[in-house]
Amino acid sequence: MVKTGERPQAFPLQLKRVLEEKMERAQALPKKKKRFRNLPLFLIALPGVIYLIINNYVPMFGIFLAFKDYSFVKGVFGSDWCGFENFKFLFQTKDAWIMTRNTILYNVAFIILGTITAITVAIMICELGKRKRVKFFQAALLLPNLLSWVVIGFIAYAFLNADTGFINNTILRGLGLDPVTWYSTPGPWPAILVIVNLWKNIGYQSIVYMAAISGIDKSIYEAAAVDGAPKMKQIFSVTLPMLKPTVITLTLMSIGRIFYSDFGLFYQVPQNSGALFPVTQTIDTYVYRGLMELNDVGMSAAAGLYQSLVGFVLVLLANWIVRKIDSDNALF
Amino acid sequence: MTESKTFNRVATILLTVLVIITLLPILLIVIASFTEEQTLIRDGYTFFPKNFSLDAYYYMVKQGAVIVRAYGVSIFVTVVGTCLSVLLTTMLAYPMSRKSFKFRNALAFFVFFTMLFNGGIVPSYIMWTKFLHIKDTIWALIIPNYLVTAFNVILVKNFYQNSIPDSLVEAAQIDGASEFTIFRKIMFPLAVPTVATISLFTGICYWNDWTNGLYYISDEKLYSIQLLLMKIMNNIQALRSNSTAALLGTGTVDLPGTSIRMAMAVIGILPILLIYPFVQKYLVKGVVVGAVKG
Amino acid sequence: MKMRKLVAAGLVGAMVCSLAGCGGSGSAAENKGSEAKGEGSYAQVTMAYSTFNNIPAAEDLDKVEEAINEITREKIGAEITLMPIGIADYSSKVSLALQGGEKIDIFHSLGDFNNAVSTDMAYDITDLLDTCAPETKELVGADWLEATTQNGRIYGIPTEKPVALTPMVVYRQDVADELQLDMSSVNSMEDLTPILEQVKAGKPDMTPVAAVQTGEIGVSTTYGDLDFLTDDFYKPIGVLMGDDMTVTDLYSTDLFRERCELVRDWFNKGLVMKDAATTTSAAAELMSSGNYFCYVAAYSYPEADTAASLEATCGFDLGAKMIGSAYLATSDLNALTYMVASTTDVPEAAMKFLNLCYTDKDVINLVIYGLEGRDYVKNDDGTVAYPEGEDASTVPYTAQLSCGTFGNFFLMYPMAGTDPASLEWELEQNKSAKTSPAMGFTYDASKMKTQYTAVKNVISQYLPGLICGSLDPATEIDKFVQALNDAGYSEILADKQEQLNAWLETK
Repeated sequence: MVKTGERPQAFPLQLKRVLEEKMERAQALPKKKKRFRNLPLFLIALPGVIYLIINNYVPMFGIFLAFKDYSFVKGVFGSDWCGFENFKFLFQTKDAWIMTRNTILYNVAFIILGTITAITVAIMICELGKRKRVKFFQAALLLPNLLSWVVIGFIAYAFLNADTGFINNTILRGLGLDPVTWYSTPGPWPAILVIVNLWKNIGYQSIVYMAAISGIDKSIYEAAAVDGAPKMKQIFSVTLPMLKPTVITLTLMSIGRIFYSDFGLFYQVPQNSGALFPVTQTIDTYVYRGLMELNDVGMSAAAGLYQSLVGFVLVLLANWIVRKIDSDNALF
Repeated sequence: MTESKTFNRVATILLTVLVIITLLPILLIVIASFTEEQTLIRDGYTFFPKNFSLDAYYYMVKQGAVIVRAYGVSIFVTVVGTCLSVLLTTMLAYPMSRKSFKFRNALAFFVFFTMLFNGGIVPSYIMWTKFLHIKDTIWALIIPNYLVTAFNVILVKNFYQNSIPDSLVEAAQIDGASEFTIFRKIMFPLAVPTVATISLFTGICYWNDWTNGLYYISDEKLYSIQLLLMKIMNNIQALRSNSTAALLGTGTVDLPGTSIRMAMAVIGILPILLIYPFVQKYLVKGVVVGAVKG
Repeated sequence: MKMRKLVAAGLVGAMVCSLAGCGGSGSAAENKGSEAKGEGSYAQVTMAYSTFNNIPAAEDLDKVEEAINEITREKIGAEITLMPIGIADYSSKVSLALQGGEKIDIFHSLGDFNNAVSTDMAYDITDLLDTCAPETKELVGADWLEATTQNGRIYGIPTEKPVALTPMVVYRQDVADELQLDMSSVNSMEDLTPILEQVKAGKPDMTPVAAVQTGEIGVSTTYGDLDFLTDDFYKPIGVLMGDDMTVTDLYSTDLFRERCELVRDWFNKGLVMKDAATTTSAAAELMSSGNYFCYVAAYSYPEADTAASLEATCGFDLGAKMIGSAYLATSDLNALTYMVASTTDVPEAAMKFLNLCYTDKDVINLVIYGLEGRDYVKNDDGTVAYPEGEDASTVPYTAQLSCGTFGNFFLMYPMAGTDPASLEWELEQNKSAKTSPAMGFTYDASKMKTQYTAVKNVISQYLPGLICGSLDPATEIDKFVQALNDAGYSEILADKQEQLNAWLETK
């Protein structure tokens, strides 16, 4: 049972020695009360488990609504079953393909670019250490996350609108270029949406990596520095490998939500402009636009279930692959 | 050494550029909030408006008492919510990280599953209002949805799994410490770097949230600042995007103008700007302390 | 370590408190409920209504409720709880509360009457209307109640208010005077073109036409004798044109094409705001900037009143000119319908209270204006105003901005500054406006939900651009119609026709 530390290098030597001594003594002791060993740990987890049951599991009965023709008089349980009727609208037209494609492609772009930029920023900030301006950088990057999408929509509009927008009025005019009617030109929008999303989330995402980096034992770097490894090499041979578990976990979690999109980003930022639908329509915006007036409980439940199911299958698959390659980093 | 200096210089320049790009749009909002309404509509948003005005903030000051109260609610909710959340999250995450815990995988799945599936707002609403009666109490802003989130639990679990060796626990067990003592005296303090991270996340989450308020709060005394701002924004949006205005024949609704909306956004982030340096001080300290111990 | 223990203890304490807090506050709420019930044996009626104003604090609301209760206890043996909800969240909050089994006995539609009926939200009040609210039935009249009838059963009462909306162009009087524009010559959208060109020539800095709201510069309101057959005003799916009883695809008609070509022409000549399809500003804001000359919208007041009432928000001397006449269809009437909730436990009391909402001047004005002296003051001429130094955002209670959404508009005190004579005009308009032959027909889309969602998406993709001039009708209308057909448009038209025919047979 007794193991030496998984990552002994992450431990100051002294502490390690103390531990080893204790473990030696331990081997002499008999194993006690094996039967109830799991109980105390379970009790520690219990409050959280209860909360999740109340907050998440019990309300999951709402999933049944996806298969029901909801009536206010009959209520959740009394309403008539209607099979897969509520799901049909998701696959009815060729929009189904467009919105699925958009949702997935944007999410893949966000996962890849988001991870790369967040790690880069985190490494830079950590390397620069505790200077005053670094603190300021960190705070500044976090700010956009505190703005709601409605406000961000206003900002984007301030930059992009055709008549008085900052880009048309100041930048393009300054360069002697013709103004662009941004809200009816789909071409640049994939880039715009990716940029806006990065802008909002980069500071937030990099925090996870900053915490992970600061968890890496400084002595490894010191050892590397003594070996004469240049800074860039330290980053590639020490920092990045140490971040691997975090990257895998975060990516797995994003895959679970790959059929979901940030509604505000795709609805508020393009100002609901019809001309942009081919590149801004995602499953969430489609459902919203379609059900705005119908306000149908069953159909929105069906859409949610569809999104969750696909994410679930994908994440099981991805987790299975991770488990095959590197079982320590699998989610479950 | 010079090599590392070059690195630092390049990193500083890159970050500076990034920060400027990040802050410019926010600066635009701040300037817009000080711009005269008519100028804003005529010339659009610019960094150099022709006419400044404090009207938007006069309007806000007129609503002063309501806003101060909402700040109070927001701060209380953020602080209490974050503390509770951190405690519950680490307690749930720690057993999941223990290799000797039989149900660790099951528990991890149990937690992760909540990230994927949800029953929609209706069942949750019934749960919280009918059975737990938290409607129109301050707890309605704290308890539903955010107290334990799968994302945070998994972050903490990962931290324990990757940065803290099992041997530490075993050593403590040998000293006769119970699981509770181990958690309280060793594992919780050791988790400081991630705790700092998830407190920041949870804190932002509570500060930004308005959906709980929307569903569970109708008493204006319990409005958080974001809910207050959202309500005003939503009403404007409703007037604009629906045919409601035409239906009601209310041509004369005096809506807060664009500059006031910008001022509201500024008011929403202002306290964070003021508080953040202090939070950061502890955050950085926490991260450093954690790093040394880990 | 000590410090940590303290913190931990504090946290645990907070958690215990929180759990206790749940129970505690819950029982407090229950106590309050039973307390209220304890006051005699009055039936308890809760009414949810939408408001543009601030949601009042509980104690301010209590006083208004108490004043209403003094009347209702005596007249109908019931006590009322008011539940004002911000207009933006109104529909979702009411639907959530009803699903969650909360007590709401009376609510109203916001343009979604059909939906409320097809999901069983509304109580069948056909019989109750006779027994509990004969005065209201008489007042509203059988014709109007047709609009809230489905399959022969009545599910709600339309609000008694000016419903006849007349399309008008609201313009800058000062500019019109300066450029000597002949506004009296304008009787249609087409007539506007020369005027707009004159404005453009005389005031090059000015954009002649402003958007009324996102994606709308006046085309939707000026189709003329068009019945949208209870579809959303701005996104119609199948319409009736004039007296023809065939459900028609509006977007394939010449009328639609001509309108799109007209606004396209405006767009190309720079006569209309470029961003109309996506703007975030509404007409009043745009006008107040001084950059725009006019906008086209429909109002229920006479010309002079409309202009006068808009001047305050727009900040300039305004004129208004009618460019069409009002045309009444079912949705004009049932857009704001008061309904009894299907889940109510006191249908009779709710109905009796609704009766007061249409017939009792005191009840109506309490709900709209609150308490006299505290929330408003009466002037000598019968109009009302906010107390000295107060306005809508500072008084403890007012629902004044929901004006017209509540019960009987004609029994409300007019606000100071409005001309009492216009009430007569509005009442007259309600009676004399041209009425669609399908008045009273309501379309139930519940069988067509799948097609509906797809079609709505197509419409929001193309329509705003087309009717704001930013899309070229020469190429885009065909694409639009093609996309509609792919989305199952014709099935909806056929279903609508079928229901319309069935309805005609019962007539």
